[in-house]
Amino acid sequence: MTSKAMTYSTMKRSLEIELISAEGLKVDRKPVKRKTFCVLKIDQETRACKPDELGGSYPVWKNKIEMDIAMNGSVRFISIEVLYKTSGGAEKSVGLAKIPLTDFMGGFAPQGHLNFLSYRLRDEYGDKSGIVNVSIMVKPDGNSLKYSPPSVPAPAGYKACSSQAAANGHMWRPRTSSSTAVTAGYGGRVVTGLPVWGAFPRSS
Amino acid sequence: MGSCWSDGKGGGRGGGGMVGVCGTTSGCPNDAVDYYLKSRGFNGLFSQIELSFSASNLRDGDVISKSDAMVVVYTKGRDGITLSELFRSEVVLNSLNPKWIKKLTLSFQFELVQTLLFRVYDIDTQFQNSREEMLKLDEQQFLGEATCALSEIITKSNRTVALELMRKESVAATAQPQNYGKLVVHAEESLASKTTTEIVLRCLHLEPMDHFSKSDPFLVISKMVEHGSPIPVSKTEVLKNDANPVWKPVFLSVQQVGSKDSPLVIECLDFNGNGNHSLIGYKIEKSLAELEKLHVSGQGINLLLPTGVGHKHEDKALKSQISVDKFTETVQHTFLEYLASGFELNFMVAIDFTASNGNPRLPDSLHYIDPTGRLNAYQRAIVEVGEVLQFYDTDKKFPAWGFGARPIDIPVSHCFNLNGSSTYCEVDGIQGIMNAYNGALFNVSFAGPTLFGPVINAASTIASESLAQNSRRYYVLLIITDGVITDLQETRDALVSASDLPLSILIVGVGGADYKEMEVLDGDKGERLESSSGRVASRDVVQFVALKDIQYGEVSVVEALLAELPSQFLAYMKNRNITPTTTTTTSAS
Repeated sequence: MTSKAMTYSTMKRSLEIELISAEGLKVDRKPVKRKTFCVLKIDQETRACKPDELGGSYPVWKNKIEMDIAMNGSVRFISIEVLYKTSGGAEKSVGLAKIPLTDFMGGFAPQGHLNFLSYRLRDEYGDKSGIVNVSIMVKPDGNSLKYSPPSVPAPAGYKACSSQAAANGHMWRPRTSSSTAVTAGYGGRVVTGLPVWGAFPRSS
Repeated sequence: MGSCWSDGKGGGRGGGGMVGVCGTTSGCPNDAVDYYLKSRGFNGLFSQIELSFSASNLRDGDVISKSDAMVVVYTKGRDGITLSELFRSEVVLNSLNPKWIKKLTLSFQFELVQTLLFRVYDIDTQFQNSREEMLKLDEQQFLGEATCALSEIITKSNRTVALELMRKESVAATAQPQNYGKLVVHAEESLASKTTTEIVLRCLHLEPMDHFSKSDPFLVISKMVEHGSPIPVSKTEVLKNDANPVWKPVFLSVQQVGSKDSPLVIECLDFNGNGNHSLIGYKIEKSLAELEKLHVSGQGINLLLPTGVGHKHEDKALKSQISVDKFTETVQHTFLEYLASGFELNFMVAIDFTASNGNPRLPDSLHYIDPTGRLNAYQRAIVEVGEVLQFYDTDKKFPAWGFGARPIDIPVSHCFNLNGSSTYCEVDGIQGIMNAYNGALFNVSFAGPTLFGPVINAASTIASESLAQNSRRYYVLLIITDGVITDLQETRDALVSASDLPLSILIVGVGGADYKEMEVLDGDKGERLESSSGRVASRDVVQFVALKDIQYGEVSVVEALLAELPSQFLAYMKNRNITPTTTTTTSAS
């Protein structure tokens, strides 16, 4: 819901989603024979793609959809559902997959990166019913939400084994090739030195 | 491009995947290598390269006229000494800046370091009417020689190197410039390498292998070789319970099979969960050209099944037929084209320091540093993979990590920088990795358990940061381990997250552990890796091999591992429609 006072809550990002294909679709443990189609749902909005013409359990849709997604934290998932129409005209679900936003926003996925993602579909009983393949791209916007790489846990509190090493940001004094590196000249050449075991503080 | 074992489209699987476990087969290492190569198919990406030569400022050999030069090319063996002659050019008369016309055609094999030695000779007048092959080189005047690796030439943007000619290597090199002139070598990829065929095959009336159900058929396409059994180059997916299967398109590049007229064997097999697939029928001696004709004619041909034993061996023609639904040829961008436009392969390595390796000071430890200089299994893996990949990395700064140990006074880390730094993870060159490895070996306490998740995530972070900067880099993470992973789910999660990044992961198992569990990383019987959140890997980026005790000089299992990399790289690029852009730089850097 929009409110003029809180304009930031209407902040949206534009997504380009392609519903590509699916594999191994099963209903009641048997491969699907009918023509299937795929439905994308973000919050309350849904978009469906055209049914795959050949039918069967390996449909190919290659359907591109553009949708906006609200960035106020109310939406955490995109849901993808694969369905087919019975001869009576009713729609039956093959399976559903929920894609968390973090899989294509933040984490390892920079803006503008074309993410190829695949998800396990599960039916209403929670059984595996196939895999769906999609691609999602978050369209970069002008005032960029800067890409922030997932923070690699900083090696907190690495006490160096020597103050000298600590001064250089090392955990131990690094070897140089002039030291007793036995493998200087790896690959069949003659070794000119012998390892000196006592050169470095022993690990306990 | 031939992306074997893949669909190459949309979210389809890329090439690569787990290999048969060598650890459980019989003891002889050659059998394991053999089995490995045959089961995976020697499907390295052979590109046909043409090298052309010219030289400048050659020494003047003759008194009266200028040199009459010829260039001879040798390959240098792994030992650095054995030479085998490949090629002799024609003789260019009377010139110190000759430009030879004859070109050397050779295959570029990604997984090998192909070292070439070039020697230039001045051919004496009395021999100039003889054919070049007949000339005895020790009777000619030696004008200089130079060495380089084939990958050095093709990774340059203009595919040209200018090498300083020198006196024979055996003579002690002097510090002064030698002034023997320069040899310029230029590489071109032949057009045949760039053509890929897309083939859709179907079978009719497949006979069931047992009475209870229809078969789960798949095809294996192999190329015939002079000696030995056919080598697989491609295979289709497995279709369950289908007597009239139509498989997804198979991509075969002309370079993979040799030529359009090279005979191929197509076998139809029934998939068996235990790996012993039964032969339903096969068709032999159909080349790509003949498959094309088959497509045009719209007919099917009968499959054959060998019957009888020993001398009474015959081929029974079955009712089952195979036909070609689709046959198209396209010119694909090749791996070399991407390289020439600035793409790089970046090498990263992670080493297992868990206690199961044994005390590194004792000779039975996998980490034992042998004073005679013989490399231990870890060092061998680093060298064999690193030496091939280093040419594809311009700055040669390799991130290197250790896992499963306690750096002094610090809790167990499953991803610490091998160089001992708390801030950056890179080392310089292969030598840098070796030095850092030595340094870490005696400065950490081996611990456990064996977890891959953290190092895979560290590699993924680097790969995704590079994506954010639009740099043209593809990362290769080598994990060397002695044991079975303990965090199977976390590793799966990390691999699924990594599957959409420009990253391939090679896992080498050293030591004698039973690596059966590692097979799970390839999914269960061909199923894709699934994370705990329901996400499935977009492509197979993991390859695993157990490094048994292979003597130096023999065919390396690691080579077969590397052979898949160009296909994985190309599958990634093709999926995203990333094309090599033509560069306009002209500098021969």
